[in-house]
Amino acid sequence: MSKLATWARLKSPWVLHFNSGACNGCDIELVALLTPKYDVERFGIKLEPSPRHADVLLVTGSVTQQCAERLKRIYDQMPEPKFVVAIGACACSGGIFRGNYDVLGGVDKVIPVNAYIPGCPPKPEAIIDGVVKLLNSLKPEKPSKEEKKK
Amino acid sequence: MVLDVMFVFRVLVFPGFTFLFFFTMFCDWIERKIEARMQNRMGPTFTGPAGILQPFADVVKLLTKEDIVPRGAKKTVFRLAPILSFSIIIFALSFLPIDGAAVIPNSSFSGDLIFIMALITLANFFLFLSGWASANPYGDIGAARVLTQFLGYDIPLFLLALAPAFLAGSLTISAIAANQYLPFILLAPWAFVLFIITLQAELEKDPFDIPHAESEVVGGLETEFCGGKLAFLRLTRDTQIVFGAALVVELFLGGPYGPVFFGPAAPWYFLWFVLKLLAVVVITEYVTCLFARLRIDQVLTTNWKVLLPLSVLSLTLTIAVATWIYPMVT
Amino acid sequence: MSPKKIDMLSILQAKFKGTSVQVQPEQLGKAAIIADASTNRDVLKAMLEADEKTAVIAITGIDLGATLGVFYHIRTSKAGIITIKVEVPKEKPQIKTISDLMPGTAFDEMEVTDLVGVVFEGHPSPGRLVLPDNWPDDVFPLRKDAKLDNLQYKQTPPNETEPAGNENIVKIIVGPQHPALLEPEKFALKVEGEIVKDVQPRIGYVHRGVEKAAESRTYLQDVYLVERICGICNACHATCFVEAVEKILETEVPLRAKYIRTVLLELNRLHSHFLTLGHAGLEIGFETLFQYFWRDREPIMDITEIISGNRVISSGMTVGGVRRDINEADIPKIKGMLTTLRKTLPFYKKVYEDEPSIRMRMKDVGTLKREDALKLCIVGPTARGSGVDIDVRKDEPYEAYGEIPFKMITYNEGDTWARMNVRMDEVEESINIIEYALDNLPTGPFRVRVPRVVPAGEAVNRVEAPRGELFYYLKSNGTAYPERVKVRTPTFANIPAFLATAIGSNIADVPPNFVSLDPCFSCTDR
Repeated sequence: MSKLATWARLKSPWVLHFNSGACNGCDIELVALLTPKYDVERFGIKLEPSPRHADVLLVTGSVTQQCAERLKRIYDQMPEPKFVVAIGACACSGGIFRGNYDVLGGVDKVIPVNAYIPGCPPKPEAIIDGVVKLLNSLKPEKPSKEEKKK
Repeated sequence: MVLDVMFVFRVLVFPGFTFLFFFTMFCDWIERKIEARMQNRMGPTFTGPAGILQPFADVVKLLTKEDIVPRGAKKTVFRLAPILSFSIIIFALSFLPIDGAAVIPNSSFSGDLIFIMALITLANFFLFLSGWASANPYGDIGAARVLTQFLGYDIPLFLLALAPAFLAGSLTISAIAANQYLPFILLAPWAFVLFIITLQAELEKDPFDIPHAESEVVGGLETEFCGGKLAFLRLTRDTQIVFGAALVVELFLGGPYGPVFFGPAAPWYFLWFVLKLLAVVVITEYVTCLFARLRIDQVLTTNWKVLLPLSVLSLTLTIAVATWIYPMVT
Repeated sequence: MSPKKIDMLSILQAKFKGTSVQVQPEQLGKAAIIADASTNRDVLKAMLEADEKTAVIAITGIDLGATLGVFYHIRTSKAGIITIKVEVPKEKPQIKTISDLMPGTAFDEMEVTDLVGVVFEGHPSPGRLVLPDNWPDDVFPLRKDAKLDNLQYKQTPPNETEPAGNENIVKIIVGPQHPALLEPEKFALKVEGEIVKDVQPRIGYVHRGVEKAAESRTYLQDVYLVERICGICNACHATCFVEAVEKILETEVPLRAKYIRTVLLELNRLHSHFLTLGHAGLEIGFETLFQYFWRDREPIMDITEIISGNRVISSGMTVGGVRRDINEADIPKIKGMLTTLRKTLPFYKKVYEDEPSIRMRMKDVGTLKREDALKLCIVGPTARGSGVDIDVRKDEPYEAYGEIPFKMITYNEGDTWARMNVRMDEVEESINIIEYALDNLPTGPFRVRVPRVVPAGEAVNRVEAPRGELFYYLKSNGTAYPERVKVRTPTFANIPAFLATAIGSNIADVPPNFVSLDPCFSCTDR
């Protein structure tokens, strides 16, 4: 039963996008993923409007003071199991705005992050690669050949 | 004893609940593929061959998520309304002859057309209740929009559904389906076209999909739901589409009846039913992809000022055809 | 253009002869006018009387040591910016508001209060603009002596209770996380039924303190910083900044560099307009249109990648020219992609002009009359959709725009449909400009060496970003770091237009109206 559940979660990751103070560069590359050239609906990824519907939270931006509380609240509203992906240099560590007075400097200062995708902005291919790596890390580890022989 | 087993099999497996459940997901996959193709994309591709298992994966994933009930929500209604609306639609579907006989055998009774239209209204009402019970302003607005829309469009839908009833001389669906020596789409094409348009509004599809307008009401009435309840709400929507298409097939396209080439009739009837239903689903999905969304006041104007008078006109015309032309054909 | 030529400077010199107001021509753009806290309104009134197209571009707050400077940068129908410079003492930083004369300046004044601490007497709705609500009251980030470590944040004030008014009015909060908005901003809509009665915006969620950060980075580092104020119009920010530095340095950029800059700027405009035109489709529920526009936008990103190596943030500009030359071998490929793009335009143009569902959702929605557009100092396609013919590329040509022929597009209807059609037509003009520039690319160097240290001086500069006029004020003090970088972005000027046109409309009209002014809040908040 849990194999079925894992399969379903891998094949149907619904995402929610939140911009926590970004320059829009990463966001437009993210929206470009839904368009014909990249089309992530092939993988079952759907962009959902409400935090309650989503499994994966895609965060861009260097997390300004004002957004920090919202980010935490949205994360809390999402039902388990949930994952967070930090997209772009700003979300990973604050990027070029690190150290500014209104900037917290990275998503992991507020909520736990499962995957970091660096770039300014990362190309859509890089974002897909990051999400796929995250999904693959959820698969249960296949026993290696030596263990199978035992 | 044998009769009982048959009954249980028909209701629970085929052509009952299990079949309808998976068939709904199949129709959902077809819709997503058509929408993707119209938008020059591929749609679900990697979940099962050609992505056919995508809707199934969606439902399973939703069922395995944590269940959250907001603090301010009206808990009983919140928990029950999604399941009830889904169940009512499946119940309504079981009156339609799918393979020559309805799911619940010998269940058709005089006037069951009106009965299942009333059931659909009830199911939509439970959808409204689920949005109303969510304690969320977007849920409230979405629920209000659902109510306004389906209550308004119920009237022309009903008037248009009466057209085949007049032609067949009966209010029983199985009788209407069986009496179509010529499919009624040929005898009353105006009713068919108007019915498809009104159906778009009843099913809340573009250009009438304001209840799910993401850019205005976030998730609409579904905003606060997650996990299993969300799965049921989505399934309700998808099953409604199957129901609407099935109604069109029964009323206008001759139901499951079609040429039987060899062997027992029932599998052939089932095949024709499925083919005709898929054709209707494809048509409605095409219309969805081609238009922008209308505003609520435009939706209401279309209903009261355009569709209602036209459906009255259609009824008059159909009665004329039924009285004079149809007897000449039969 | 006005029938008779208005010589603003002579009028002002005549009017204020013998008073404390000094008119200094050829300073800081077209002229600098030295006034004080008691005469700033009089000067502005005189300018408004002389020329109806007078508009305040921006108000800069600056820490001048013992005093705080409040500079009003003003545009009139003739080319050039006139700056009214006022200084107020730091102990008592007060000055009278001008937002009754020019309603579009309300936001500018709130920002100066937030960041520098000047209080504007008579302001209709004082309050925080870009800083968070719990920011301490006595810390002003742009002051030189601001202590920004270990800030003592205030307790967040409790949610304001609504006065018991009309019970039919429902308060809907749109944002900060909302599928219609790509960026976090909060709009509190007061709605009665389906009609919007009031809109209260709260911006500042994307405020990253760029202007302060620019003061602690060198000029070259600042190019990378200001590019990332907005990923969509990044080339425009970079260009405006380097042009301002070059004005202080009095450097002449080689012609080839100007043409390459023009190409990158127009590519920015192209991808931004395609983005908006597709996004508008999404807002009105026309997802197919959105997918088609973004599918055809991809070649533009590919062209930018061919020229600069990056899809979005091209990083092509540097002080003295461009960083990379265009490879001559790439030009036929680029022109081929542009030709393919041009072939799709008639289809899209027909959609935006004739498609019934678009006309139903966009015609007569969010209508902004010409007089209001002028009063609110609106810029860009939003203004050109209301018949106001301002475009920095025509009014004050920069880079290669003076040599390349193109049309300014205006529509007179003033509604959402007109604004989107302005952008649709500008797409074709942009393709024409890029093709002309590539065909006539001059030979020569693509950059010149510039001194590392910029001498003391100030400059104002503006470029036409896809959303409208982008304005920079730059002050240097002879060190390796700028003294003050002030950015006024087009969306900052256009938000009052949205507020004015949303009141009284349906809720369902708010998203298309909003998208038609093409908001970019990362630009607004910086």
